[in-house]
Amino acid sequence: MSSNDPTNREAMLQRALCVWEIKDPLPPRFEEQVWQRIARAETQAPALWALLSSWISRALARPRLAASYVAVLLLMGLLAGYWQAQMEKNRTMESLSSRYVGLIDPYKTSGP
Amino acid sequence: MKQRPALILVAGLVAGLGAYFGFYLISTARYHSLQHSPEPELAWLQREFHLADAEFTRICQLHQSYLAGCMERCRQIDQKNEELKALLAATNTVTPEIEKTLAAAAQLRAECQKKMLLHFYEVSRTMPPEQGKRYLAWVQEQTVLSDTHSQMGHRMTHNE
Repeated sequence: MSSNDPTNREAMLQRALCVWEIKDPLPPRFEEQVWQRIARAETQAPALWALLSSWISRALARPRLAASYVAVLLLMGLLAGYWQAQMEKNRTMESLSSRYVGLIDPYKTSGP
Repeated sequence: MKQRPALILVAGLVAGLGAYFGFYLISTARYHSLQHSPEPELAWLQREFHLADAEFTRICQLHQSYLAGCMERCRQIDQKNEELKALLAATNTVTPEIEKTLAAAAQLRAECQKKMLLHFYEVSRTMPPEQGKRYLAWVQEQTVLSDTHSQMGHRMTHNE
């Protein structure tokens, strides 16, 4: 039986694994370190939020930035309201003009 | 003191939303009232062509009298269409009756368009001259000048 035979090599590996023993002791405070690493990994995500929150708090604590923030949101609201109102106005006017044409022209269908 | 930034954050959002809804509601209020008026189409006409109350009242009268005649013509058109439908269902060739009915339907259509044009001229004369001119150009474009034939021609050029 040759040692190059795959079946033989597998049997040898199985035997070696069965008698293998770890003799080196674990490093001191190994378990405690593992728990610390787990805790660090768990606190990484909230740390980002805390960072953002503290940045916002610092930025809004400055009166000029706070006023700019409120002004920008106010302006954005006004622009969005204006844009939406224009859309609504165009839609209403187009619909009413089509309805007027539909009223006076019997050959005209109201839909496209 | 710690709550101040959060307060500003919320105040900004409230200001933005308030500005949006306020501006939107104020700007669209008159269009909503236009839609809920007794005759929204005529209310639109008054607004679009800047009509004074007296002009608007006169146009409303013209409109009502035109519609009364229009309904009668519509009845005649429907009757003629029914006749044509029955004739077409009975044969697969153009019979003299079909020819006669088609001619009568065309005659009705021409009569209808003539009355419509007369109404447009009358309405435009009631308006201030500039607005009357604008109304006439617009309404003719929307009715007598917007023929399905031209639409078909347009479609054919698209298909080429």
